[in-house]
Amino acid sequence: MAETALGSVIVMMELELRRIRHDRTELYSRAIQPILWLAIFGPVMGALRAIPTGGIPYTDFITAGVLVQSVAFVSIFYGLQIVWERESGILKKLLVTPTSRYALVVGRSMASGIRAVFQMAIIFLVALLLGVKFIPSVLNLALAVAILFFASGGLAALSILITSLMKTRERVMGIGQAIIMPLFFASNALYPVELMPPILRYVALGNPLSYIVDAVRSLTITGDLSMLPVDILAIAIFDAVIFVLASISFRKIIQ
Amino acid sequence: MTSAMGATGSDSIGAEIAPGGSSPALAVEVEGLVKRYGKDFTALNGVDLSIEAGKVFALLGPNGAGKTTLMRILTTQLKASAGSARIFGLDAATEGDRVRRLISYVPQEMSVWTDITGRENMVIYAKLYKVPSDGRGELIDGLLEDMGLMDFADRTVGKYSGGMIRRLELACALLVSPQILFLDEPTIGLDPSARKVVWDKITHFKKSYGATVFFNTHYMDEADLYSDEIAIINQGRIVIRGTAGELKHSAGESVQLTLSDHNIPEATLGSLKALPGAKGLRLDNSTLTIFVEDAETSLPPAIRAVEAAGVAVLRAAVISQTLDEVFFKYAGARIDMLGRAVEARQVRTMIKRGG
Repeated sequence: MAETALGSVIVMMELELRRIRHDRTELYSRAIQPILWLAIFGPVMGALRAIPTGGIPYTDFITAGVLVQSVAFVSIFYGLQIVWERESGILKKLLVTPTSRYALVVGRSMASGIRAVFQMAIIFLVALLLGVKFIPSVLNLALAVAILFFASGGLAALSILITSLMKTRERVMGIGQAIIMPLFFASNALYPVELMPPILRYVALGNPLSYIVDAVRSLTITGDLSMLPVDILAIAIFDAVIFVLASISFRKIIQ
Repeated sequence: MTSAMGATGSDSIGAEIAPGGSSPALAVEVEGLVKRYGKDFTALNGVDLSIEAGKVFALLGPNGAGKTTLMRILTTQLKASAGSARIFGLDAATEGDRVRRLISYVPQEMSVWTDITGRENMVIYAKLYKVPSDGRGELIDGLLEDMGLMDFADRTVGKYSGGMIRRLELACALLVSPQILFLDEPTIGLDPSARKVVWDKITHFKKSYGATVFFNTHYMDEADLYSDEIAIINQGRIVIRGTAGELKHSAGESVQLTLSDHNIPEATLGSLKALPGAKGLRLDNSTLTIFVEDAETSLPPAIRAVEAAGVAVLRAAVISQTLDEVFFKYAGARIDMLGRAVEARQVRTMIKRGG
């Protein structure tokens, strides 16, 4: 049973790969914004030397944040694809296949992870060209990509959960816009959490993006892996909880 | 009347099946099915229905009659508010996993991804249906060939016509050999020639697999031409069922007169109702329709009665039975009038989506 569920999840990822192969426009257009953060915002803010980064260049510091942000964008708006599949009959058809609802939700979510991997590849390349110094370790890099992949799945499941409650394109778009920037700014993506007012620090503590950023930053930039187990645990818990919630609400999506 | 017709319907089926000996298996068995959305809207209001295995069954009704809701309950997508629905003896509400292994389904809207090719859609669905990788390619090629899509197999579906998309969806639905194939408005929004091709394919499938086919439609000609049995649904209830012939017979024939004046004395209407074999009449502006046993013998006396009242008959016609008349008689509305506006809206929505 678990084997067939995993099979269905892999088929959903294969579907996403095939979709990307036919049309890569979205990957390129979504790369523009993160490139602006790295090429303009990073150097300008860095020149001010206003933010304590623990001795690393500011652009290097925010690279993990920008990677996570672009992955989060892909995932949080993955619900729009689900809205399309809802409005066409695809979701109805999928729910009538022998595939379990749980496998469908995890599969559609991890499909977003596939898209996110391609997205981050572009950003990694751009960051390298801009002179960001990554820790030269294939293992670290692979682990960071894996973390971003699974984190993207969790965020896409959050998007599916929102979609199953909101249902229309406009609402999903609106909610996505409403949560993505607060998640980004109330995280350690652009500045250390210690700089925030106390209340916001608690928000950052419950913000999945903080853990994702911290994991990716420690693996690829700082090399300080002391918090990595906590980060991975937090992301795993977030994924598990959100997968279950999204699976429970998924049937509502077609009602 | 409804129950009497229901009995006639099952009698004739009994006669058909009896020579085979064994009692027929029921593909679909629905009892007292009720579906409410919220507090105010009742989509299904006590549906009873049984369909024998191996039949092509048409559920005919206007949009909003409850056809799609019934199909979605049978295909385990929705749970009923009351009553039971069984597919080959399995409860659609509690044994959904097992039901889904027996059925295939093509929803009304569109069930393929438009940004990948036709063949890729089939590969994805084949893998979701756990079609063994051994022979999967041949199976897909065979189905694409059957559906006349081989030349377009490697184009993205976004470039397909509506009819091609429907045939691709049928091909996807036939990747597993279903015991029962559910088709929700299989030809909605297609032009007549594309409709005919789609039906040729469905008929071909039916002949080669012998499975049960359950389709929803608001096209009376499709129900008439392609089904073994029809049930008419209106406002959440099955109002009548039988073969196309039985239904048409039950509606009787009619005489239709176009009159110079729509004011006809009550006495004349009374005498028309008293004509031998007359079952009822309807006056629609200046068109008078009289439902009778035998239209050709009722026509002359009907004309004489009207002209005796000083109203001229401009045009006279004998209307043989159509399912439209049947529908009007049992559901009290014109199905195509109800259907067309909704269909136009759906087609527009599909175009807007780029489907």
